[in-house]
Amino acid sequence: MDEITQARIVETPEDLEELLTAHPDYDVQLESLNQRQLAWRRFKRHRMALIGSTMFLGMVLIGIIGPQLLPFDKNSYIPLDQVSQNGRPPMVSPYFHPFGETTQLQYDVLTLVVNGIGLSLLISVGATFIATIIGTIVGGVSGYFGGWLDTILMRIVDAMLAMPLIYLILVFSEFLGNGSASWFTIMLIFALLGWLQTARLVRSLILSLREEDYVDAARVAGVGRLRIIFRHLLPNALSPIIVAATLSIAGFITAEAFVSFVGYGISATTPTLGNILEGAQQAIGQGNWWWAVFPGLAIVAIVLGINFMGDGLQDALDPRAKI
Amino acid sequence: MIRYIIRRLIGAIPTLFVISIMIYGFVLLAPGGPTARFAMNARMTAESKAAIIHKWGLDQPVPIQYCRWVGICNPDGTGAGMFVTKQGLPYFLPSALGGGDNGVLHLDLGISSSTGVPVAEVIGDRFPRTLMLAGVALVVWLSLALLFGVISAVKRYSKIDGAITVFNYVAYSFPTFWLGLLLIIIFAATLGWLPAGGMWDVKLDPNPNFVFGSSEYWTFFGQHPLATILDLVKHLILPVATLVAVSVAGDSRFIRASMIDALRQDFVRTARAKGVPERRVIFRHALRNALLPVVTNIGLELPFLFTGAIATETVFSWPGMGQQFITAIGQYDYPVVMGISVITAVLVVGANLLADIVYAIVDPRISYG
Repeated sequence: MDEITQARIVETPEDLEELLTAHPDYDVQLESLNQRQLAWRRFKRHRMALIGSTMFLGMVLIGIIGPQLLPFDKNSYIPLDQVSQNGRPPMVSPYFHPFGETTQLQYDVLTLVVNGIGLSLLISVGATFIATIIGTIVGGVSGYFGGWLDTILMRIVDAMLAMPLIYLILVFSEFLGNGSASWFTIMLIFALLGWLQTARLVRSLILSLREEDYVDAARVAGVGRLRIIFRHLLPNALSPIIVAATLSIAGFITAEAFVSFVGYGISATTPTLGNILEGAQQAIGQGNWWWAVFPGLAIVAIVLGINFMGDGLQDALDPRAKI
Repeated sequence: MIRYIIRRLIGAIPTLFVISIMIYGFVLLAPGGPTARFAMNARMTAESKAAIIHKWGLDQPVPIQYCRWVGICNPDGTGAGMFVTKQGLPYFLPSALGGGDNGVLHLDLGISSSTGVPVAEVIGDRFPRTLMLAGVALVVWLSLALLFGVISAVKRYSKIDGAITVFNYVAYSFPTFWLGLLLIIIFAATLGWLPAGGMWDVKLDPNPNFVFGSSEYWTFFGQHPLATILDLVKHLILPVATLVAVSVAGDSRFIRASMIDALRQDFVRTARAKGVPERRVIFRHALRNALLPVVTNIGLELPFLFTGAIATETVFSWPGMGQQFITAIGQYDYPVVMGISVITAVLVVGANLLADIVYAIVDPRISYG
């Protein structure tokens, strides 16, 4: 032990075995990791999850710093002389200009898409955050207390789930927002309609967790009911909730795009991904395909990234999964 | 079994009740309320406005308005007589049994405030068209999902499984309406092979009454059956492909997982050990058991045919219920919005019920006492 010639980090018992066979005189310790480190290690091993989160974080970065890097303001036209010197083509396609430009008013598609990504992500992440909190509280209370409260709450949830969510979102967005809602209104509408699945999930988790011994132990020790729910039950139900929340971001991105696409979402002058596509629909007949393709690709990139990431999280956060 | 079905049917009533309250809430939510359409009309006097408000029962308290809309309360009755017909029978009974004829329970969904046509008639026109799109999509969707799911489970980790998995992930991430736009760009705008939208070619018959489901349509169908079917198929291809691509993705992943589970069971090993041919093992022993969870899943996914149809119908201007719903919201045509919501909710609750019952029938392990 006087001189250490080499230090190596051994990650699995098999590696340790191998190391000890090769060098029987090594002084080794198997480092023990806590649950969070184990989860991170499992996540890192999940190749699709890494690709997915890179895609998603990339889109988030584009949404946050992209608008600052672009030369055009989201509401400005392209200066004519920058595109073509002598006789400008009726539409500038992506072959001449990154992402091309729109037919009406000659907006720069790249600028629109970059701004749209930021706003759409803001709405869906915000809505997911609020919806998850509401759903967790309703599901937690309903699952822990049971009885008539549970019956009433779950009847309401059942009934609301029986209506296709998109119907409710469309009606609420148009009737409350008058077709030109602010992003904040739309986010609240999504949040107030989007907590149902979370509530159901949390309720079922709590129902099984409350039978565990440690809950009985806490109850015997005189811990209050709310404290049992929030300190003992919910932390153990956290993993599935996180996974569900991640996946619901994707649902909101698509829903926002559709609601704005049919013209009942955020006011048409605000560049969200759905609003950009709404404008693009009429231009398809004129041969302007890029206006519709690039915002859609942004949606696919975000949703695909989230789906991969969700799958990876599901595996990583499962404490029974092997490393 | 029959007791189970009856119990489930009764259990659906409170759900439908809560849904109906929610749908009635649409009117209260709507800007301007139900009178918005004529409130701005300068040619109407205050008296005529008040007359309409009284005739529509809008001067009544909200619970009574709701009760009349559902068809439990008699609009002509007062006090305790509100719940019975002139003959003294409960108002909510079907009119054939001496009940009333007003309200949702009697299939009276009101009158469209933008066209004046009864809502039941509007839906009657639109529903078959949506059903045509959704039905064809359902058949294609289920067969493809089964095919993909079984292939990728049997040939697990092969190249074809990998390809199907990639397809599933990508297709699952496509917003329905954007996939529709892409298909229009490729097959209609660029290649010009298929129509970009609509359900029939107006060039077939110049008659303006020539719409799907009209008597003119069926007359033309009688004269040129082949041309009509060909025309319909041409209009169906892109919307069906759009609806199918997105839904196949989720389902084939589900079937794959369920099938892999089934292939691991002891009875499959027994069958193989007995020397049952592999094809028979897969389709007779494994698949039949793998389909059990799939049945429930399909019941839960049926609503997607309607929500997905909203997006598809909008993009492809398919003149169905979804498109009508979108138009009606824009026109603040509450009776139509509420009518379509009611019909959809009943269909969804019915589909879930059916899935539960079918599941109880096909799975002998379920006890349904």
